[in-house]
Amino acid sequence: MFLTINTNDPRPIYQQVADGIKELIARGKLPQGAPLPPVRQLAADLGVNLNTIAIAYRELQKDGLIVIKHGSGSVVASSTTTERSPDDLRRPLRTALTELVLAGLSSTKILSMVIRELRTVGRGNK
Amino acid sequence: MHTATEYLVLFYIFFWVVRIRGCVRRGRQPLLRGPEWFFNVHVQPDFYTGAGKKILYRYWMRMLIPFVLDIAITVAIFTPSYLDYAPWLLIAQAVLIHINHVYSVDKAEREARPIAVPETEQPVDSMALSLTPRRLRDYANPKVEWALALANIVALALLFRYYFADPQHQNWRVVFAVPAFYLYLQVGMLFVKSVVLAWRTPVPQTQATEHMEAREETRKYYLKMCDWYRAFVAAGIVFWSIVIRISPAEFNRVSRIWLAAWLVITVVGTFLVEIKRKQLVTVALRARPVRMPDFLHESDIARWPVCYQPSAPMLILKGAHGYSLNLANTLAHLGAAYLAGLVVLFALLRMGR
Repeated sequence: MFLTINTNDPRPIYQQVADGIKELIARGKLPQGAPLPPVRQLAADLGVNLNTIAIAYRELQKDGLIVIKHGSGSVVASSTTTERSPDDLRRPLRTALTELVLAGLSSTKILSMVIRELRTVGRGNK
Repeated sequence: MHTATEYLVLFYIFFWVVRIRGCVRRGRQPLLRGPEWFFNVHVQPDFYTGAGKKILYRYWMRMLIPFVLDIAITVAIFTPSYLDYAPWLLIAQAVLIHINHVYSVDKAEREARPIAVPETEQPVDSMALSLTPRRLRDYANPKVEWALALANIVALALLFRYYFADPQHQNWRVVFAVPAFYLYLQVGMLFVKSVVLAWRTPVPQTQATEHMEAREETRKYYLKMCDWYRAFVAAGIVFWSIVIRISPAEFNRVSRIWLAAWLVITVVGTFLVEIKRKQLVTVALRARPVRMPDFLHESDIARWPVCYQPSAPMLILKGAHGYSLNLANTLAHLGAAYLAGLVVLFALLRMGR
């Protein structure tokens, strides 16, 4: 199971790591209880500072997706994030939709794009 | 001639045969991927007739450096008072061969890069990271671990029983020196396993599976080698716990059998290792080499041969002048502590001899 990091991606590396793991959890590829590699392993493999990966793991922990057990590593805690208000959930969606509208895409195109992405993430099939 | 000397000469002759094979293998290594490649560097078509000819020649010449130690080994084998040093010199030479090879490959690649195909020298955009944890317990076979632990415990129990049966007439150093050293070697092998597991495995997104497979196979090979060494050393403790209680005449006979068995195991093991090496090369050749992005700017921060970089989680950094040992890494501290412990152990065992 791989996580992809792209040097051309405008997102910082910690964000790419966190988003990548979130996506794998959403797709069901990382089920509840699945162990994650230690921070040191990921940081060394990628060749980045330990803090970069530690920040990504802390973000995932804050979302309730993983549990960091000191000494025994991190595991996937849940396949859903902790309780968040509808406003909190709507905000990133609105940001993404604004980007698409500003890019000049029509509503139909945006809708089909959203459906396709939803299918990729895996929840769209349910 | 003394029995030990006979076996040492036999072992030394065999070691020479293996080294000649190793030299041939290492000599061919630059061209394994075909004439367009020099190790993992994609070179211009006229590389081997132009500037590359000298680089290749210098690489071959560097392969001969470890042969210098042969003078010392030959003197040690044929001078009775220095015979004890011969096995240590052989070990030192084996280590030197590996270090010299890693250094020579890195140096040759660095020399070839300025005249490589420019497009292939650009680092890739996308990297793939494996989310499979690499911990010692993930790569340990519980049955092997239990067998090794039991062998050590039983052998030590026999030795303690032997010593405490008549403590006035036994020298504790004679009884426990060998097992103490062998146990320490086993701890060292566990340390080497940790280093192998911590070895970074950055892979490109393209051909990620092939790259990952090649690295995983190599990792498993080295871990298995460590386990084999641990098993041999544990067998040494068991053997010691048996021979210490037998008569000197019996001791010579049993030692002869033991050394002969070692020689046979070494020969068979060498053949098996050669077969495995060929398999590893086949797997490695499936993955096309690429340059990985340098997020930490290792080539700027790492000084040869050692550096202190707390921000870098790697044990070895690749600097502009070659590999650099990161003294800020925990494994470097453990390695230093292990070597210091080895010196203390030797001092303790030799004290009052």
